[in-house]
Amino acid sequence: MNTNTTPTSLRAKSVPRGDRPASFVVDPAAARRQVWYELASGATGLALALFMWGHMFLVGSILTGEKGFNWVAHMLEEYFIAQPTVAAVLVLFIVHAVMAARKVPGQLKERKVMRDLGRDLNAYGKGFPGMARGDERFQPHVESMLWIWQVRTGMIILVLASFHLILLASNVFEATMQGGLAIDATRTLARVQGGLWMLYAVLLVCVEFHASVGLYRLAIKWGFGARLGRHTLHRIEQVLLWLFLGLGVVVLAVLAGWLPAPLEFLLKG
Amino acid sequence: MAENIKTARILKFDIFRYNPAEPDKPPYMQRFEVEEAPYMSLFLALNQIREEQDSSLQFDFVCRSAVCGSCGMMVNGRPALGCQTLTADLPEVIALHPLPTFALIGDLSVDTGRWFRSMVDRVNGWIERETEFDRASIEAPMDNATADKIYEADRCIECGCCVAGCAVANVRPDFLGATGLNRIARFMMDPRDQRSEQSWFEVVSDSEGVFGCIGMMACDDVCPKDLPLLEVYSYVRRKAVASLFSSGEDHPARREAEKA
Ligand code: HEM
Ligand code: SF4
Ligand code: SF4
Repeated sequence: MNTNTTPTSLRAKSVPRGDRPASFVVDPAAARRQVWYELASGATGLALALFMWGHMFLVGSILTGEKGFNWVAHMLEEYFIAQPTVAAVLVLFIVHAVMAARKVPGQLKERKVMRDLGRDLNAYGKGFPGMARGDERFQPHVESMLWIWQVRTGMIILVLASFHLILLASNVFEATMQGGLAIDATRTLARVQGGLWMLYAVLLVCVEFHASVGLYRLAIKWGFGARLGRHTLHRIEQVLLWLFLGLGVVVLAVLAGWLPAPLEFLLKG
Repeated sequence: MAENIKTARILKFDIFRYNPAEPDKPPYMQRFEVEEAPYMSLFLALNQIREEQDSSLQFDFVCRSAVCGSCGMMVNGRPALGCQTLTADLPEVIALHPLPTFALIGDLSVDTGRWFRSMVDRVNGWIERETEFDRASIEAPMDNATADKIYEADRCIECGCCVAGCAVANVRPDFLGATGLNRIARFMMDPRDQRSEQSWFEVVSDSEGVFGCIGMMACDDVCPKDLPLLEVYSYVRRKAVASLFSSGEDHPARREAEKA
């Protein structure tokens, strides 16, 4: 840490805050709503994260070549699994975005305070081993920054995934109206190779980060796996992140035509 | 001891200076140099500065053994107790600021007392019961596990580090903070407290309570007394959800208070 400078969290502020109100009124109805909001944001986040992992395996069928991909896609469409799923994910996506966004401070100034504090806590002790204590805590503290990146990746997902979802929903709608199939390897490959790989690459990184950190956060919030302790939970989160990120990079490389489908031999002959 | 240290470091303390009684003088950072001594704590260093260099420097210490909770300060951007922090664990340049989120008294000294008083008032940080307390009778026994848990929660020294390190508390002045949730949990666990889940509910579940928290666990990482704030946090959360599905009556004592 560059300690020659004033920590950033305090640089902007001249004087710490003054008095706090002594009396405080709580509205039970508002409190009740908060619980529902919290459950809604957590449950939709969980559902979306699990869906994204399933989604990875479905798209991953491209590793077995166009034949495998088409087989999976056509099955899902013929049995009317794909169509309602697209609609359900769209709803989950919107509900999650609205519910989760309520935690993000509205003012730029507030977000700056959060970010600066997060940076200081994250910088503390780096390159100075004397500060590290060998207990269950994070020193330097990383999690405030993780949350800030949770918000940032969420915002990017909101924009990019909306595009992806609308594209797919319109394909499904068209196919339902006119007959035929919405998802087809030839069209998908052409799209990705035509430049959409850039969008999907950014989306991949953001979604994998957001999903694994989000699941870690859920575990922390509700005490799942509390016996493992934060370090172990954090390690699990990182393993999941790199696992799915690695898988995603391979799948995207095949979709973009940079890599031949490595499992194509499975469906040969 | 001293022989082992070949050349003692010259520590550079950058200390936040501001006196609310002199509002015309804007806040500034002042540098003090101190020769490091073996096992020097910030408590020792600050006292040395005040004695030898600047008698106007304001900071708080009482017990110098991490019990009174009055020496919380931002050490290189992280909340910590001055008495517990050894300079040997810190780099040569040490920036000290008062804890944010509390009213400033001057320089490094802040008023945590008022904050904690208002927090305790809000959560009714005492045992509430329907029945009159009888001094003469023998107290009902409590099982060991519960007593241990309550003891853990009671170890909070009200230093305010968890509040100062919390990003939410830094932007929302009414947020209860980890120490507030810990206080609530302490009475929730106490079998002598007869408040119903419903009566907890309104204090806990509000967006200034447990659902204002976003689980970044800075509180858990900075608490100088190693309180199990993570467990406290998920416990209170689960309680809040449970109370959503229970239709317990409000506690009579509370209703009385509201009528009055
Ligand atoms: C529409 C775009 C999205 C936005 C703006 C967004 C935003 C956020 C934010 C701000 C949080 C933190 C909430 C909190 O701390 O209470 C969060 C949590 C979470 N998000 Fe998202 N997110 C989006 C999409 C997704 C997607 C696509 C997934 C699935 C991969 C996902 C999975 C999660 C999970 C599991 C959590 C943890 C829930 C919790 O802590 O209660 N999110 N999201
Ligand atoms: S978990 Fe984070 S948001 Fe919650 S009280 Fe602790 S520091 Fe604040
Ligand atoms: S919970 Fe820990 S950090 Fe917070 S006031 Fe109590 S002792 Fe200090």
